[in-house]
Amino acid sequence: MKNVLLIGAGTMGRTHAEAYTAMKEVSLRGIVDSDAAAADKAAERFGIRAFGSYEEAMMELDAVDVVDICLPTYLHREYVLKAADDGKHIICEKPLAGSLKDAREMIDYCKDKKTKLFVGHVVRFFPEYVQARQVMEQKGLGDIAVVKASRTSSFPRAWDNWYADASKSGGLLLDLSIHDFDYLRWCFGEVERVFAKAYAPESPEGGGYALTTLTFRSGVIAHVEGSWSHQKFTTSFEIAGTEGIIDFNSANDNPILSFRKAPDKPLEGAAVPESPLLEAPYYRELAHFLSCMETGEEPIVTAEDAYQALAISLAAIESSRSGMPVALA
Amino acid sequence: MIKIGVASLAHMHAIGYMDALLEIDGVELAGIWDEDAVKGKEIADRYQTTYYPELEQLTGSEIDAVIVCSENVRHLECVMAAAKAGKHVLCEKPLATRVEDALAMIAVCRENNVLLQTAFPVRFQTSIKRGKELLDSGAYGKILAMKGTNRGRIPGGWFLDREFSGGGAVMDHTVHVVDVMRWYMGAEVTNVYAEAASRFSEGKIDDCGILTMEFNNGVFASLDCSWSRNKKFPTWGDVTLDVICEFGVLSINAFNQKMSVYSNENGVSWDYWGDNMDLELIRDFVQSVREGAKTASVTGEDGLRALEVALAAYRSAEDHSPAGIILAH
Repeated sequence: MKNVLLIGAGTMGRTHAEAYTAMKEVSLRGIVDSDAAAADKAAERFGIRAFGSYEEAMMELDAVDVVDICLPTYLHREYVLKAADDGKHIICEKPLAGSLKDAREMIDYCKDKKTKLFVGHVVRFFPEYVQARQVMEQKGLGDIAVVKASRTSSFPRAWDNWYADASKSGGLLLDLSIHDFDYLRWCFGEVERVFAKAYAPESPEGGGYALTTLTFRSGVIAHVEGSWSHQKFTTSFEIAGTEGIIDFNSANDNPILSFRKAPDKPLEGAAVPESPLLEAPYYRELAHFLSCMETGEEPIVTAEDAYQALAISLAAIESSRSGMPVALA
Repeated sequence: MIKIGVASLAHMHAIGYMDALLEIDGVELAGIWDEDAVKGKEIADRYQTTYYPELEQLTGSEIDAVIVCSENVRHLECVMAAAKAGKHVLCEKPLATRVEDALAMIAVCRENNVLLQTAFPVRFQTSIKRGKELLDSGAYGKILAMKGTNRGRIPGGWFLDREFSGGGAVMDHTVHVVDVMRWYMGAEVTNVYAEAASRFSEGKIDDCGILTMEFNNGVFASLDCSWSRNKKFPTWGDVTLDVICEFGVLSINAFNQKMSVYSNENGVSWDYWGDNMDLELIRDFVQSVREGAKTASVTGEDGLRALEVALAAYRSAEDHSPAGIILAH
């Protein structure tokens, strides 16, 4: 039985809580949030205790094995170091940090304290992405030529509107496109050059759009679209090789589309797509991390992978500012 | 009766254009020149028109206009011959393979008071035209970014021979969508970053490319111009354009008026049932000739501007650095 303390009662914290609640071998002991109302609401929903601070939770709870950090990016470092100081294994949401310096410090710190650090690059646990990689490995698409990946959504509204503050979230190249950067690196190896163009509105209304080209050492050319200017959350990828093409688009490839009319407003409402799985990708990811803690097995995504994905995002941001391609070491 | 000749059948679009001529009232396909006498005669017989063994015989015959469908590098001599004989010209894209050739073509047509139209059929595609209408309505606000694709199957023959084509996928497929982007915004490309590679043609020529462009109105755009559709892909290729605007996103997939046809023999194919853009292109050109228009609706300059982008893309792909464009006049 693993005892988990969750830090952060936002969207991601609640998503993780849901996954833990479904796990037999896990006891979710509590949820921490500086916003007491948010913490209480989540605690009530999952039948766990709410705490106003990490320190309070650690004082109150006798057994915590794992600290799961679902906080805004700029707070990751502080809480990773705290949990490492307490000798807890750590699961931290992506991106690991906002700078390579912080990321390296966090990785080294956890090593020193002999605690394990896992970073939630969840795309590696989405079955469609896993399977595309398997198809490439097992069936082969020949020589991979051009790859397209896209992740578009409306602007994420969260606590303190922190996504709108680039100094806190890093903007969409750091927060959103990093999913695809990590996935593509998983599939195609190290990146040689990055070129990106980005639009980031100053307004608190949010938005933003970025187009990135990654050139891999293997010669693969990948194009990544990231958007906070769309309406619905959609992911897609296309991998074109000399012997075959893989194509996926979440807007078309899902099994359920439901449209419900409100009895009093028959003309309103929107169709909602759903792609149910016995084990959701977040469940798979967190269960895998917990299992790695038990067995000592290397996780599918390591903290070092998270560091490298961050390096790609930061290179893209630098390129979008300078107008020049950025070479990765 | 407007009489139109076809100079060279080297480009497969010649057949589509001739089919279009047959469908338009008041137009006659009045002759064909092709250096391959066997092919030229055969096609001339099939279309019940005259075969001319020499280009000057065609341009010197009793015709009003010439459609040039030669290999790219030979557009110059065909346009020269037609213009000097006082015939209007519709020239297949890319207009030329060198800026100086395009300038010479523009000059000779101007001196001889004949129309020079660059064959950009995509401008006449009904959904692309509708996209222009929607954006011009102002409802979407300012355009911020664009993402386009013009992918296709790898052609054969002279397309893979730089001596005749001037370049591969980047030359062949950049110009269509760049033309649409320029047309949508009334803006010019200032610089291009491109990654290009040769994967599908056994190293013969560039066959995949991702371009990122900046326009002089501040908009950035990317374009996938790859010949990445394989033999069994359900259709020949695509033209797509996503336009990210201040107040929304316009997503155009120009040939997505299709049905899937499943056969035991060929698997799935997408049969397009939308309007025929080649027919509308030819109809437009014929109308300009008939009305004695002062300039073509899509000009030689338009062809030149798109060519400049393709050429800059090659420079960039070579240098791994953005290539600036100084508009030639």
